[in-house]
Amino acid sequence: MMNPSDELAGHTFEELSDYLDRDRTPADPSIDGFPECEIALRGMQRLRRTQRALLRKDVERESEREDSWVNSILQHINLEARAGRDIPISHPSPTARLSVTEGAVRGILRAAGDGVPNIIVGRCRLDGEVSEPGAPVTVRVDATVLEGKNIPPLAEQLREALYTALSQHTELAVEAVDITIRDLYQPVPPPAKAKASSDE
Amino acid sequence: MMPTTPIRAPLASPFESFTDQTLADRAADGDIRAFEALVRRYGPLMRVYASRVLGSNDEMDDVVQESFITAWQQLPTLDNGAAVRSWLMRIVSRKSVDRLRARRPHLNVDLTDAPAPESHSPHRLAEVESQTEALTRVLGDLPEDQRRCWMLRELAECSYGEIAEELELPVSTVRGLLARARKTLLQEMEEWR
Repeated sequence: MMNPSDELAGHTFEELSDYLDRDRTPADPSIDGFPECEIALRGMQRLRRTQRALLRKDVERESEREDSWVNSILQHINLEARAGRDIPISHPSPTARLSVTEGAVRGILRAAGDGVPNIIVGRCRLDGEVSEPGAPVTVRVDATVLEGKNIPPLAEQLREALYTALSQHTELAVEAVDITIRDLYQPVPPPAKAKASSDE
Repeated sequence: MMPTTPIRAPLASPFESFTDQTLADRAADGDIRAFEALVRRYGPLMRVYASRVLGSNDEMDDVVQESFITAWQQLPTLDNGAAVRSWLMRIVSRKSVDRLRARRPHLNVDLTDAPAPESHSPHRLAEVESQTEALTRVLGDLPEDQRRCWMLRELAECSYGEIAEELELPVSTVRGLLARARKTLLQEMEEWR
């Protein structure tokens, strides 16, 4: 089917296709510079460019559509799927039962985290028997920090904010708040105002 | 020319600047606004993908909606949130093919419904626009496994490993299918020159 041929300097087309997908690294001197190979590789690159140009055009067109399809998707989302465990909250009346869901507590953690600038909260986990009043709970939070910022003070600020929010909204016996900085994020230019103005 | 500016004013959501990983992680935790940002970020690409497979726009909305509902349900099982793009594309690829099969169970799945170029005359093919039409046509002529491989690679930007997993094929087979698809497409392209 795809045997090595003299036309491709002893390589199969498959090898060249593979080489292209590896971004031609590490450089293979038995491929680079051989005219037959270069022609095949250039052809594949041209094919990719054509396809990408077409795709970009179509995606742009789709991006300009009305929002109705987004709303329609969001309406079909089942938020209860993320409720998790029930976390009890005491109440003066012995007959009343109050609880908050684990999902809601994660929401509280995210909201508290969003109030701290230059750090973004990702995943939040509550480890421990949260359904048992008074059981020790460890909160584990992933976060990303704005590139160039000093991590320890930011993490400390976040930890404080999370503690405060939890003590305000829950009765969880928080033993520890573990924060893992997973990544740094790049500063983002504000939404394309300059570009939009040319539209006017 | 296509306008380079969005027609809608950009939404003032900080989520739009979040990384894929952050959005996927937060959505997995139940953050609907993070999920919405993912819908906005990758929905248009998924719609194009579905329309390429289905050859029409009629069912595109349904397929993309189903895909996102599945994604919401399964996001907590996604280990690497940074890979959410190719993960979403695999879902829409699967849903599109399912839809195609359900539509015409009596036929082999094929792209015969793909929009046909209006004219194959040489002078038309010389134009850029008809190059893309021709690409659609040639893709439609490929065997299904080759076409799916090629689309997962070039449109969805999946890795060989992800394609292999998606199509339940060995990586070596994926490599071969991809090369064959490219070779055919390339031969056709040379004819256009």
